[in-house]
Parts: sequence; C-alpha cells; structure tokens
Amino acid sequence: MTSVTPITTTPAAAPSKTARPSKDTAKDTVRGGLVLTVVTGLVAVFWISPLALLVVTAIRPLPDFIGNGPLSWPSAFTWENFSDAWDIGNFATTYGNSALLLILKVPLGVLISAMLGFALAKLRMKFRRTVMFSVFLGLTIPIYIAIVPVFIMMRTAGATDSVIGLIGPYLAFGIPFEVLVLQSFFRQIPNEIIEAARVDGAGDWRIFWTVVLPLSAPALVTVLILDAVATWNEFLFALILLNSDANKTLPVGLLNFQGQFSNNTTGLAAGILIAVVPILLAYTLLQRWIVAGLTAGATKG
Amino acid sequence: MFALPALTVYVVFLVYPAVSSLWFSFTDWDGLSPAYNVVGLDNYARMLEDPVVLTAGKNNLIWSLVTIVFPVTLGLALALLLNGKVRAKPVLRLVFYAPGVLPLVSIASIWGWLYNPQYGAINSFLSLIGLGDLAQPWLGQDSTALWAVMVPAVWLRTGFPMLLYIAALQSIPAELYEAARVDGASRWRQFWHVTMPSLRSAHYIVLALSLIDSFKVFDMIYAMTYGGPGTATQVMGTWMYANVFQYYQAGYGTAIAVVITLIAIAVGIPYVRSQTRERAT
Repeated sequence: MTSVTPITTTPAAAPSKTARPSKDTAKDTVRGGLVLTVVTGLVAVFWISPLALLVVTAIRPLPDFIGNGPLSWPSAFTWENFSDAWDIGNFATTYGNSALLLILKVPLGVLISAMLGFALAKLRMKFRRTVMFSVFLGLTIPIYIAIVPVFIMMRTAGATDSVIGLIGPYLAFGIPFEVLVLQSFFRQIPNEIIEAARVDGAGDWRIFWTVVLPLSAPALVTVLILDAVATWNEFLFALILLNSDANKTLPVGLLNFQGQFSNNTTGLAAGILIAVVPILLAYTLLQRWIVAGLTAGATKG
Repeated sequence: MFALPALTVYVVFLVYPAVSSLWFSFTDWDGLSPAYNVVGLDNYARMLEDPVVLTAGKNNLIWSLVTIVFPVTLGLALALLLNGKVRAKPVLRLVFYAPGVLPLVSIASIWGWLYNPQYGAINSFLSLIGLGDLAQPWLGQDSTALWAVMVPAVWLRTGFPMLLYIAALQSIPAELYEAARVDGASRWRQFWHVTMPSLRSAHYIVLALSLIDSFKVFDMIYAMTYGGPGTATQVMGTWMYANVFQYYQAGYGTAIAVVITLIAIAVGIPYVRSQTRERAT
C-alpha cells in the first residue's frame, strides 16, 4: 500500500461496518444500492437456477416433461416422482446409515481432536512442533493414497460392508482440520484462567471439561457442523468399503439411483432433491456457524 | 495422555496406510492374491510410458488451474459486490455458498442431467435463444467433456473464496479508503492500492487451500464421466482407482497415488508450516 499516505487529518471515519467510500450523496447511494442489488440478484438467480429447475422438474409427470421440454412450465403437477424415487432409491436405508455414521463419528472425532488440540495448545508435550506439523500435513494428503491398505485392513478385520468400519478412516481424515481449528482457538484462552483452576486443585482432565470446552463452545459447534457436512458427503471410502445396498450411505446410494433412473428424468430430479433438500435446510439454519468456521482463518495471520 | 486417542487413530488409519501404499508401489501386487514380488521402481518407470498417465497429469494440471482461477476470481468479485451497498446480503451469500455444502455426487447428478443431450436443460436453453446449433453431447465427446466437468466444480467452489474475501474485506479499516480518497485516488486505484494489498493474507489462504484441494479431485469425475469418454477426463485419482479396482494392478495404482500425494504434500508444506509457526508463537 505504498501510494497511501499516512492519515494526517483523521476525518472521524464513519464507523460504518463496511469499509466503503461514502462520497456519494444519500440519494445516489440508494439508487446505486438498488442497481447493484438487481445485478447481484440476477447473478444469484442464475446461480441457483440448476436447483430451481430441479424442483420444477420433480413436481411434473414424466410425459409432460418429455412432451414440453425441460424449460417449459409444467402443465400438470404430481408428487408421484417423490414416492417412486423414495422407494426405488432405497433412501430410507441410506439416510439411516448416513445418520448413524454421523451420530457415531462426529462427536467422537471432535472429542478426540479437542483433546489433542488441548494438549498441543496448553500442555507441556514432547515433540510438540513435530506432532503438530505431522498432523497438519494430513490436510494435504488425498484419500486415495490410503484406500488400498485401508481396504485390506478392513477385510482382514471383517469390517468391510459395515458403516462401523468407516468410522476409523473417517476419524483419521477429519482430525487434521479439526485439530487445526480447535488448537488455535484453545490457544486464545488466557493461561491465567487455567492456572487459577489448577491452583484450585483441578487436574488436566477437569480443566479440559470444565474450563476449556465450555469456553470454546463456538469453535466446537463450528467444527461439529463442518465435520458433519464432510462426513455426510464423503464418497470414496464409502464407495470401496460398502457393497450391499443395505449398508450404503447417501452419496453411494445416490450414485446407484442415478444409474437406475437415467431415463426417468423427473424421478431422477425428485431423487436428487430427496438427497439434497435436508442438507440445504440444515445449511440455511446453521449458516451463521458455517460461515464463522470457514472464515476463522482468513482474517488473522 | 490427551494426545493419545487422536494420534493413534491418525497413525493407524492415515499414516500407516499411506506408508504401506508406498511399499505396495514397489511391488507387482494385483490386490487380491497373497503373494507378490518386489519390482523396485518398475511401476514408476511404467508411468513414464503410460499415455493415460500423461493425459491424467495434464488433466490434473488443467483442473487445478481452472478450478482455482475461476472460483477465486468470481469469489472475489462477488465478495466485492456483497461488501458494497447491496441489500439482502445474507440471502445472497446463502445462495452463492449453497452448492458448497452438497455432496459432490449430487452435484454430479444435477449437472449430468443438465448436460443430457436429449432432455438436458442446457441444450434446450441454447435452442431457446436461437443457438440450437451449439447443442451437443457435452459429456460425451473428448473436446468438451473435461470442460463440462469443470463447470460444476467452479459452481460449487466459488462460495468458499467469496466467504473468506467478505470476512477479509470487512476487516479493512475504513480510514485507509478515506486517506486514499483524500489523495484523489480513483476507485480503480483504491482497489489496487488499498483493497488488494489488504487482502494479501486472504489471498494466501484461499490459494493454498484451493491448491491443496485441487489435487484431491476424484468424486466429481468418477460420478460424472468415470474418466471417459475414452480417457478424455481421466485424472490421477480416477486412473489410480481404475488400475486398482478394475484392472487389479494394485502395485501400479498405488504408485500413481504416491506420485500425486508427494506433489500434493510438496505443494502443501509451505501452508502447513505457516500454520504451525503462526500458532506456536
């Protein structure tokens, strides 16, 4: 920022949250805002149009879709695509499996990551930098380097074709990100608080549960949500470790379904919606946390 | 010991498998039989002569370039728009990031349907605006398939840089703009001399994470084209998968995985080191 001279006369910078120049008169601002809103709104409509089109297609009968083309407005409406897709797509099963995985894996992953993060941030630890570096390096490692050995490991242990068998690899590949976020949050907890608890006779374990975790609630919620999204969407491990329909997770089940419904476009659209609408709803409700978590690293450092 | 559970899981399910993949890459193992021979660097030598590896490597490169440049540029543009006087910011932000939370397989399904030569919306749209001649089997021909797979990748990846840039833009002190304006700097100059330098750390994080992510490409290609037509959209990840699970050449497949992993690690190390250093102080 070489061309910016130091501020000599600070013109009581308006405490506007957004750092925008505000030379324009109020009226211009309103009009400029409107134009920009319309432009951005159009881009947004374009952006979301694949999903909108999906909805329109899913609620019309197949003959109507084929007869009038994908971009026409439906001449008739039906819910049948959804019930067809639900039955044939095996969604009751795949939803159940994905939910089970979510419930078993995500809290466990966040707990052990928080423990490691606590050790890295606040406890005396041998080879701390080395451990930290090795764990963070996991962020860069593609899953496919691990699939062959993991597959053999699971086959030996008799854990293939089971949602339970996915937990280990999922935990391992979730740990780098979770530890990265959590330990950087834990680091900001003042040492005095921890020392005070220690003086009161609390051990590390109690400090972890009664001081560190409660003070880190926002970070924990964020990591829980982001890890839940990643777990829900994981595809490669699920693809190689699960084979029977009864054990498939949602992404793998959806892939099968896509193959079966390739000629039934309206049914396919309904099936895709069945798979994505709950995620979109959850995302809408939880977006504040998701945004906070994703942007945590962007503004510092 | 607090570190033990996580480190155990990490070593058993990530470090150990990665290292044993390295071992398998020096063998002629088929992935099924209990016996195999150590063949030294044969698998790596074979990669040099495998035309598909060449295609895959080239595709990985194009993929990285396109799915970084476009999402980052678009994300920055949207962030600048959303940081301005636009109304309904939360809704707009919600819309632009929405594809980012969907399973890649569902995105592949959605776009596979949009690209459908017969019933797809894209060809219909082209006919509708009088460009019907341009309608084509986007995913079914060598010349367009890779680009057609990258469009949804850009769609889903734009939200993340946008969010990071919005956060970073909001932390730029308004005084900097005041000062620039007092100096008579135009909007354009303000952008290049105030905004861009202030976003330096955001650029770094966005680029580092996008780059790391781009090497992991697998799901989208697998679900949309399975590397085809022919080998037109093969990337290292899918070619590795095909060798292991389709051609039963686990030794060769893991060698491919090892190469791309080493590249990913080499590229990622500066970022990992910066994270370690920054937090340790």
